[in-house]
Amino acid sequence: MKNTELVHLFNENLFLPDLKATSKEEVLEELLDLFIKEKIIRNKQIVMEMLHQRETLGSTGIGKGVAIPHGRTTAAIEVVIAFGKTSNGIAFGSIDNKPVNLFFMIIAPPNDDENKYLPALGSLVTILKNDKNRKKLQNITTYSELISILSGEE
Amino acid sequence: MNKELEALITLQDIDLMIEESNEVEKLGFSITGCSELEKAREEIASRIKKPLLFRYERLRAKLKRAIVPVKNDICLGCFLRQPTSIGAKGREESELFTCENCGRMLYWLD
Repeated sequence: MKNTELVHLFNENLFLPDLKATSKEEVLEELLDLFIKEKIIRNKQIVMEMLHQRETLGSTGIGKGVAIPHGRTTAAIEVVIAFGKTSNGIAFGSIDNKPVNLFFMIIAPPNDDENKYLPALGSLVTILKNDKNRKKLQNITTYSELISILSGEE
Repeated sequence: MNKELEALITLQDIDLMIEESNEVEKLGFSITGCSELEKAREEIASRIKKPLLFRYERLRAKLKRAIVPVKNDICLGCFLRQPTSIGAKGREESELFTCENCGRMLYWLD
């Protein structure tokens, strides 16, 4: 997926540059609440259960301070990504056992005829493997900065 | 929410997760809990009455998705408009409804 397509899956109202959460559970809850507030998701319990089951399969903490909680759920209609950041790292059971401070939550529907979900996940992983991108993301305060970095403009 | 409907949705979400776990692993995610997830699946499946579980498995084998979202009264499995009369009841999430056209079970999103 091109970066320009990826950024269209983000939403300015699903952007939290200063998460209040101090634990893995609280991060999932705080980010998911954004989807509820935006009426992208109606039933929080179902999606939270899916996210918990996904963490059972393996932590979505991919190392180097990044986690991408994700999954398909019958309670969603489109692929949407939320972003959250915290200055204090949070223990997330990541593959490198290091705390996480950059979070991207991807919620996808069960049917994905346009095949956006896995390509979006792949593009995001590629962007976040880049040290420079991660470093820039640590310092952002606005949604436009996030989009500039993800689209490769900055 | 109807407990069986809730269990069916969780079951399908887990099945989708298992189905795509190889592709997700290729992207660089650590997939270490397959057996634990299978156990969780079994536990959730045990909460569903056998005839309904059988219907779920049969629909899934035939149509890939056994339960599909409904938005604006449209079944997102076959895109047929559902009767308004069942929409109100469907939104209450107390009963399980089936699309008369494709046979999939329905979950109202709005």
